[in-house]
Amino acid sequence: MRKFINRMTGLLFIVLLPCLLLAQEKIVTGKVTDANALPLPGVSVVVQQTNQGTTTDAEGKFSLSLSGKIRSPRIVISSAGFKSQTIAVGPTITDIQVKLEEDIAKLDEVVVTGLTTSIKRRNLANAVATVSNKELNGIAPAQTFDAALNGKIPGAYINANTGAPGGGISVKLRGVTSVFGNTQPLYVVDGVFLDNTATSAGLNAVTSAAAGGNASTQDNPSSRIADLRADDIENIEILKGASAAAIYGSRAAAGVVIITTKKGRQGKTKVSVSQDVGFIKVRNLLGVREFTADRAAGLSSDPATSAALRQQFLDAQSAGKIYDYEKEVYGNTGFARNTVMSITGGTDKTSLYFSAGQKDEEGIINGTGYRNTSLRLNVDHRLNDNIKIGISTNYVNSSADRGLTGNDNAGVTYGIALSSTPGFAQLFPDANGYYPNNPFSASNPLQTIALMKNNEGINRFVTGINLDAVLFKGEKSGTRLIARGGFDFYNLHTDAQFPSALQFQAVNKGTSIQGFTRNLNTNYIISLVNTFNPSDKLGLTTSAGITQETGDYNNLLNVATQVISGQSNVDQAGALTAAQFRTKFQNDGIFIQEEASIIDAITLTAGIRFDRSTNNGDPDKFYAYPKAGVSWNLTRMDFWKTTFFENLKLRAAYGQSANFPVFGSKFTSLVVSNITGFPGSLVNTQLGEAGIKPERQTEFEAGIDFSILKSRLNFEITYYQKKIFDFLLSRTLPASTGFSTQWVNAGDLRNSGIEIGIKSRPVAGRNIKWNSSVNFWLNRSKVTKLVIPPVVLGSFGVALGTFQIEEGKSATQIIGLNGAGIGVLGNQEPKFQMNTFNEITFRDRLSLRFLLHWKYKGDNINLTNLLNDLGGTSINYDEDLNKNNVPDAIDRISTIGVTATQFVEGSGYLRLREIGLYYTAVRVPVKFISGLRLGVSLNNFLTITKYSGYDPEVSNFGTGFSTGVDVDPFPASKRATFHISIEF
Amino acid sequence: MKKITGLNTILVFIFFLSFTSCKKDYGNLNNPTIEDFLNNATRDKLNNLVSGTLSGMRNNEGLYLDVTGVVGREIYRFSGADPRYVTDLLGGGSSVLNNTGFYITNPWASRYRVVKNCNVLIQAAANSTLISDAEKKGYAGFAKTIKAYDLLLNLNLTYTNGVRIEVADPENPGPIVGHTESLNAISALLNDAETDLTGATIIYPLTSGFSGFSNAAGFIKFNRALAARVDVYRKQWSNALTDLNKSFFDLNGNFNTGISHVFGTGSGDQLNPAFFPQNQTGEVRLAEPSFATNIEAGDSRIGKAVLRNSPTSSSGLTGNRDVWVYTSSTAPVPIIRNEELILIYAEANIQLNNLVNAVNAINIIRRGHNLADYSGAVTQTALINEMLKQRRYSLFFEGHRWVDMRRYSKLNELPLSRAGDDVWEAFPLPLTEN
Repeated sequence: MRKFINRMTGLLFIVLLPCLLLAQEKIVTGKVTDANALPLPGVSVVVQQTNQGTTTDAEGKFSLSLSGKIRSPRIVISSAGFKSQTIAVGPTITDIQVKLEEDIAKLDEVVVTGLTTSIKRRNLANAVATVSNKELNGIAPAQTFDAALNGKIPGAYINANTGAPGGGISVKLRGVTSVFGNTQPLYVVDGVFLDNTATSAGLNAVTSAAAGGNASTQDNPSSRIADLRADDIENIEILKGASAAAIYGSRAAAGVVIITTKKGRQGKTKVSVSQDVGFIKVRNLLGVREFTADRAAGLSSDPATSAALRQQFLDAQSAGKIYDYEKEVYGNTGFARNTVMSITGGTDKTSLYFSAGQKDEEGIINGTGYRNTSLRLNVDHRLNDNIKIGISTNYVNSSADRGLTGNDNAGVTYGIALSSTPGFAQLFPDANGYYPNNPFSASNPLQTIALMKNNEGINRFVTGINLDAVLFKGEKSGTRLIARGGFDFYNLHTDAQFPSALQFQAVNKGTSIQGFTRNLNTNYIISLVNTFNPSDKLGLTTSAGITQETGDYNNLLNVATQVISGQSNVDQAGALTAAQFRTKFQNDGIFIQEEASIIDAITLTAGIRFDRSTNNGDPDKFYAYPKAGVSWNLTRMDFWKTTFFENLKLRAAYGQSANFPVFGSKFTSLVVSNITGFPGSLVNTQLGEAGIKPERQTEFEAGIDFSILKSRLNFEITYYQKKIFDFLLSRTLPASTGFSTQWVNAGDLRNSGIEIGIKSRPVAGRNIKWNSSVNFWLNRSKVTKLVIPPVVLGSFGVALGTFQIEEGKSATQIIGLNGAGIGVLGNQEPKFQMNTFNEITFRDRLSLRFLLHWKYKGDNINLTNLLNDLGGTSINYDEDLNKNNVPDAIDRISTIGVTATQFVEGSGYLRLREIGLYYTAVRVPVKFISGLRLGVSLNNFLTITKYSGYDPEVSNFGTGFSTGVDVDPFPASKRATFHISIEF
Repeated sequence: MKKITGLNTILVFIFFLSFTSCKKDYGNLNNPTIEDFLNNATRDKLNNLVSGTLSGMRNNEGLYLDVTGVVGREIYRFSGADPRYVTDLLGGGSSVLNNTGFYITNPWASRYRVVKNCNVLIQAAANSTLISDAEKKGYAGFAKTIKAYDLLLNLNLTYTNGVRIEVADPENPGPIVGHTESLNAISALLNDAETDLTGATIIYPLTSGFSGFSNAAGFIKFNRALAARVDVYRKQWSNALTDLNKSFFDLNGNFNTGISHVFGTGSGDQLNPAFFPQNQTGEVRLAEPSFATNIEAGDSRIGKAVLRNSPTSSSGLTGNRDVWVYTSSTAPVPIIRNEELILIYAEANIQLNNLVNAVNAINIIRRGHNLADYSGAVTQTALINEMLKQRRYSLFFEGHRWVDMRRYSKLNELPLSRAGDDVWEAFPLPLTEN
């Protein structure tokens, strides 16, 4: 009977499920070790061309059930940092022992080449930079994800705009790719396009920063990308230009940063808890002027005031009440903590990664700080042998108290107030807590710090879904459907409170600024990927698909004045002004890409993408973005005989991408301008350009990669040339037309540069290992065509130094008065940058890691010292270096309007960005603890620079084109952290 | 081969999907566009343009007063954040006026923005079929009057460097024309507006700043008052008297009768930017010290600059009196008022050698400010000086002193507080106009 049933079952299988006929289950087991025979856990073991796979357990062992019609399947064994191996599993083989070799040059690292395809680095035609979790977060963790990228991407110019908690980082990949358009790369996390809009808190209502010379609000908002937690990130790939990113189409002009978060692994569930504690201090202070009675008296030319100031100083001196207000304001030592708990585990069908983390940090100014709470759940599930689904979800709640810094025209920010406040001023509160008015400025910074609030709060959901289905598979070809998509939704609440007790609230009698922003971005990619291997010597991968991206941003800003004491709600106020701003877009794309691999040595790639967008003048017009690449690995050719080179590859790639016009640039609109209850419409200062087109970028790059000395020394050398056509410029119109600006496709721009990367292992002993990578990169830009007159932008005019877009000149040149007229005074772009990342490991237990970053030259426009000179508080005010018996500050002030050379200052630096020492305990006496790691790290502790401001990294105008303008910023900080991490 | 066919089918399907997906254009989500107004605008839309124009007239009005006040040595403006009030504007050290400086580019652009709004209004009213001809003329007369006034304010700044009169087409703006020609054009525009307003119907609401002048007849009075100001700038003395008679000029009337900018705390509204509370530090406006030293004893206008608790100084400049012309954040700022008209009357009579009338007018002003009658020489020269002095105190911080001293080539009589300071005659044209 039993036999009969068995037979019948067999028969059923044969008759009803012919495709399972060949699925005679066969179990293959094995063990994966490193070169020293130490077991390697977490190694991926996958059957080629299928979704079948597993990972090794803690002992490096795996067990894989093989099914399917492929007679002799090949399994691929790969792990990050090791060379992968492909093994043909013959019918008789059931047990495999694999020894993986370390991959110093990362030649076997898999790198994306398309929206849904990837390739091994050894065959890659582009120089795609990658940053691993260890490099990102494993040396000396930064406060935010974006800050953690700094100094780690060759080819990038990354600049911290502000030291304010919550960050604010500008990332420019291979030079400026746009002047007024988006200069920031597109961030894609697990297939979801993240929104990175900087939303201003509306502080202009108290700072009036936009009232004077420059229309920018100069609020210096944080980057939304900062919400991501670096702890959760497995790997980052950076497509630096169109040659690699063309397939991302019209949003890829500034490059694409592809972030992959951690995934679960098959095997025993691991729980790990890590705790960081540390402190944050200001990196550098400028110092304050030392006053004497004469100097105090000299603050005024009026005899009576002068005498009063002298007396005030003498009184303060005799009472011992002379203060260093810069230290009082910026001298806080902030406590920082970061707790992360993560769970990873899974079965052969389902694996998960869960993490919950909270970071809480105080700033260097009292009342400032950053808090980020995040939950992430990544689940991967294999429905069957053919269908795999991955879901990644992330919830973030972050809150940043950012203080009030930067430029203003009302004397209210800390820095501007400090600039005219001498040390003998009395600013501390009396016994009842009342702060005196600051007679030297419009505000008392100590009072402002104590009473104000400027908070940015975020609630954000990001969810991505990834479907990978094998539609067809055969001996020589296979077709998959890959669909990826997701959404990014956040609510941002900006809350700025300026109670009526503040000195500068005499007119407004209390201001409450509340902004509510809601943003939803969605995107999907549906593609078919076909692989076809007619012979061992030829492999073809064809992919094609459609994409769609949408965005819907809605910002409501309420400014209430005459607020009832102690209240913050905007209705508890005598006056209320509201402003709403919305943007919405939909981009549709179609792409097709072909990759051919010939004898595993030559790789050819070609693709094209068509895109249209509602942001374009013509929303129905499709724009085409082609790309092509070739790489030739000479060492894999038969004729290659020399063994000096382990690996030698020549490569070249070309591609196009674009940048959409700014939302609304095609309209001439009228804005609301009311008068005593009558609703009014007033023409906007921007004239619409109905024919606005995207700016187009073409990029060509070529390079040579080689490895020598048994792959202990690996070079990657790249030259690129990036041309931007029809770049978008907000052209200045003669104001007499009634308009100030108009978006136009103004001209062409070129960036060219060189990137050299060296990865090496100088020491490879049994007890000591030293891995080192050194990168060198430089970029030069030039405006090759400009159809409109030169445009001055991004600062405060020629008298103080400004940027100017001018044909034949560098796009980042700084011009200004030079004593004889107007001339070039500098260039914001560094001459070159270098970094080196090193990891020295002793006996596999103790690991010393550090990252050095050198930016050579490049200029800032530094106006902080000017403001201190004008306020009579600069530390070197009374120096007389030129021996003309006039204080240098007076000399400097008297040249305003004649020359701006003193404001344009070299901002090069050599910075020990991160250094950390970690100890991993091998045997832990407590039974339930399976791993223990301890560490200490220093972040941004050492900077060598001649720059005279707080920090050479600064940007009063945020993430746009004009970084490097220094106007009393939030000073940068440094941090020291102790780490402990326990695994259960 | 089968595989490829299958793939092709799917690709074709995908292309089909993409190309036929519904047409999308989100339009402008945030504001109405100019086309909304030019295509047969309703009365409400036109009225929005009127209110927008009145509102826009206030943009950078505070800066205009600061700039003319500082250059004309009426006030000191100290700002913790912008040194150019005490460097460029006063010609401190070697500083000069810059053609990219905010002090010229911002007021200049704001005035022309109003001019643009007026041009849109003129065209929108002309295009509309929903209003009568008399109503159209009401809009046109308003728009032309305001346009002329805002052009005049810019011409006051750039003086001999001129302004652009023809600016309706942003792609092809007309030439920059010189001072005399510009004044002629402004005068002609005011006359044109007067013609429009005669027999027109005003169907738009005007602010409380126009109270008493909010119908066509009233608006003509406002128009003529401006015309009288332009007349004296053009030295058309008898025209000035003619225009005064058509305006709200009243020798015995309230000095403050007139038209003003008004301010409010409502949403999208503005507060008076020329108001600072007393005894501020950091951001302050002080009377130039000669204001107090040159004033006659007993002159009640000393109240326009009140003593501070303590003097304040910056960059070698010190003052002890806060400017106190606008005493609250919603106090109106006059556009033109009867006191100026009385002084225009005096000026025109001096120039026409009707000195008795002139002395009479000056005495009205003097008595109104608690001073005894004029007792100086009754000559043209002496009376011009007296008239300028009365204008200085009567119209303090209303944007006149600098223009007046320039008209009489007396800029060199303005006080210099620091060695090396300069009194500028004209602002350069903004860089973008070149």
